[in-house]
Amino acid sequence: MAETDRPAVERPGPFHTPAPVESRLDNGLRVLTFQRPGQHVASVGLVLDLPLILEPRDREGVATLCVRTLDEGTRTHPSATFAEVLEDQGAVMSGSAGYGATTLGLSVAAREEPFAAALALFAEAVLEPEFGEDEVARQREIRIAQYEQQQVQPAQRATAALRETLIDKRYRASRPAGGTTATVSSVTAVDVRAFHADHYVPHLATLVVAGDFSFDPLPAIRAAFGCWSGPHVARPAHESPDGGAPSVLVIDRPGAVQADVRYGWRTIDRTDHRWASLQVACYALGGAFLSRLNAVLREEKGYTYGVHLTTGPGRHGALSVVQGSFRSEVAADAIGMIQPLIDVSSRPFTSGEVDSAVTFITGVTPLRLATADGLVDQVATLAAVDLPLSFVDDYLAALADVTPASATEAAVALLPPKGGTLVVVGDAATLVPTLTEQGWAVTVQDAED
Amino acid sequence: MRCGFLGRMTPSLDYPLYARTLANGLRVQVNPDHAAPIVAVNLWYDVGSRDEEPGHTGFAHLFEHVMFQGSAHVASGEHLTLMQNAGGSVNATTWFDRTNYFETIPVGALDLALWLEADRLSSLADALTTENFENQRDVVKEEKRQRYDNQPYGDAIERIIALAFPQGHPYAHTTIGSMADLDASTVEDALAFFKRHYVPGVAVLTLVGDIEPDEAFAKAERYFGTIPAVARPLRPEAPPLPPIAGVPREVVTAKVPQDAVYAIWRLPARGTREFDSVDLALTVLGGGQTSRIYRALVRDGGLAETAGAAAMPLIGGTSFGYAFARALNGVDAARLEAAFVAAIELFLVDGPTEQEVARAKVQYEREWLGELASFDSRADLFGAFQTLLGDATLVNTRIADFAEITPSEVLAAAQKYLQPDQRAVLTYLKEADHG
Repeated sequence: MAETDRPAVERPGPFHTPAPVESRLDNGLRVLTFQRPGQHVASVGLVLDLPLILEPRDREGVATLCVRTLDEGTRTHPSATFAEVLEDQGAVMSGSAGYGATTLGLSVAAREEPFAAALALFAEAVLEPEFGEDEVARQREIRIAQYEQQQVQPAQRATAALRETLIDKRYRASRPAGGTTATVSSVTAVDVRAFHADHYVPHLATLVVAGDFSFDPLPAIRAAFGCWSGPHVARPAHESPDGGAPSVLVIDRPGAVQADVRYGWRTIDRTDHRWASLQVACYALGGAFLSRLNAVLREEKGYTYGVHLTTGPGRHGALSVVQGSFRSEVAADAIGMIQPLIDVSSRPFTSGEVDSAVTFITGVTPLRLATADGLVDQVATLAAVDLPLSFVDDYLAALADVTPASATEAAVALLPPKGGTLVVVGDAATLVPTLTEQGWAVTVQDAED
Repeated sequence: MRCGFLGRMTPSLDYPLYARTLANGLRVQVNPDHAAPIVAVNLWYDVGSRDEEPGHTGFAHLFEHVMFQGSAHVASGEHLTLMQNAGGSVNATTWFDRTNYFETIPVGALDLALWLEADRLSSLADALTTENFENQRDVVKEEKRQRYDNQPYGDAIERIIALAFPQGHPYAHTTIGSMADLDASTVEDALAFFKRHYVPGVAVLTLVGDIEPDEAFAKAERYFGTIPAVARPLRPEAPPLPPIAGVPREVVTAKVPQDAVYAIWRLPARGTREFDSVDLALTVLGGGQTSRIYRALVRDGGLAETAGAAAMPLIGGTSFGYAFARALNGVDAARLEAAFVAAIELFLVDGPTEQEVARAKVQYEREWLGELASFDSRADLFGAFQTLLGDATLVNTRIADFAEITPSEVLAAAQKYLQPDQRAVLTYLKEADHG
């Protein structure tokens, strides 16, 4: 017989985020380096303060094509030779153009020789990309194919449709970050070059580097990025989108075996004093394995593989979204259960729920920051919304102050059960009669539209 | 942690690893690493979908879900909740060759984690109810719908392995299984599966993190030591299969965004130098932007949105590998297939260049070091190598072992295993264009 007494848990000691060495190059580039013992793969992130509102309305997607074509040839290493020399170092580049910032990444062994060589190539891609006609044309075709793929992939379609429905159409954030077939089709190499020349500037960028370095990485960073120059443009403005009125949209996929459900609100970003309380509320409602939503819809009813409520913050505001996919026959019932399950005015959060949320979030923070990749990702995510890494310590302190009352208050104000926007991608013939009975004023759209 | 590099291309890793086997057969291994006050707990059970009986496909994975439904001293769902409440991340996965359970936690929760794992290994049968079992069967069916049935190309893996392996072969069905078999499964089946496969002698417990070996072994003994030894189930021999013959084809017309093609080959079992050689060949052919297939189809050919190749390592006699491409608008599947077959034929004649092989190795090195960067994935690799190959220290020598493979070995392995007439072909045609 094994031991029957359940062991107690010793709570971890206080956690402090690692401190970077911070410097600024003469061209204004901010540099944050972290020495992380045991991390033999160095991670590099470059964050550009580059909101997508800077894209021309009829060329949306130009920022994405710019990122994707950066490593398709430089003046020094034209066309495919660039990928060859980069891969010869065992390095890999990544990048994405988000609504608020463009983030580029590099991963390479943390030894001096490959690190310095790969970083020089990374800088080459940022500073002097070739943007060949053929390369841009190919990335344009690939982006269009991916957009069309996303349209038929039900989870991605639902997420995009929620964004489009929830955010007022005046705002860039209501539309796909990578553009649509209509806007991407008109982007040329000339557009990409102009976009790069205007917006890839060192004084609006932050470089983050982490790894187990047996050498000082700063000289390699200076050598790679010191000669970067660009127009002295002002720091860009960022949009602060409003939500529209709550609405209900069903995108019809006849015969679909599941319905992908999104129920969302415009909420608050990290700078709001209620942020920690909202995070606790989201965890208790739809983050924990036995959250209020998952305990019933998965573990009791078996309607879904999993249902979650998460908040994705931007620079100004956030989207908080309940999401899950449910088999078609029970999806409308499941949707009908979401509102009562998240209604905390009649069932306020308990101290047990708050304590669980706080210990979970506090406990996984060191896990997330333990690798070079995880650390750079966190620093870059915060830099993209102009927050320092010390935000994490402030957030952990704020979590400790969350009470059942403050979490309940945040949920009541920010996640009103009847105040969300509903998007469902699934078989309309099965879903709509029950949804209508439940009182939802449903608009149906064909998936092909 | 120590890590010394012997040269540019042949770093030799030296993660210290301590191992002990308990009297009941449970193998315990410890990699102390004090970089953070965290410990990764990882249990590999040597049972996967290859061990499922006919008519019971999907059972190993369904059983993985059942393992979270409580045991003698743990309520349903409580394992996950206790670990999350301790500030840990926790999950489990099932694949052809394994079922692994893992939690990464602040070190102060290690005793609780080990106690939870031991409680379900020793007493899951005491707590399992028909209601819990049927609920998890529903959840697994939703997982199948979400990840496979309701996705464009979501059934590709099922069709690929059905082409790669003969009917009834242990690898011929997917880990998620069939709806019919899931529907037919009962709580009695679950109990029988547990009794047969969940015994200390098939498990490897790996701890990586802020703990010393002696303390770790004492804890393992304390929580697992009293679980009785039970004979390991015998697994039938799985002799290597001959190459695929006759280029079998499956053509699927479906609601997919674009035509797509997969070519499939049988490969040697994992853990062999020949598998690693053909893995390198597939990397040169289809791993990354500089690979032959990517160049021919995506970069130069303008035929495909994406294209590549990869090997899927399996321990039971035969692995498989595949090349794939997804068409751009207006390009049909036959052109894609012809283009990557041409690239492969050229490769089989000329072989890889020194530089291509060096590039593939150095990319592998970064990926391998990246896998070892976090405690949880490092623990999983130690568990995998001990379970499947009987030697976790191969994790430390892996990069050096790879570095020894020569371009001529890569060519020889490719010529032996990647001949065009040894392939099977899976084609997806877009419904709107092809009726």
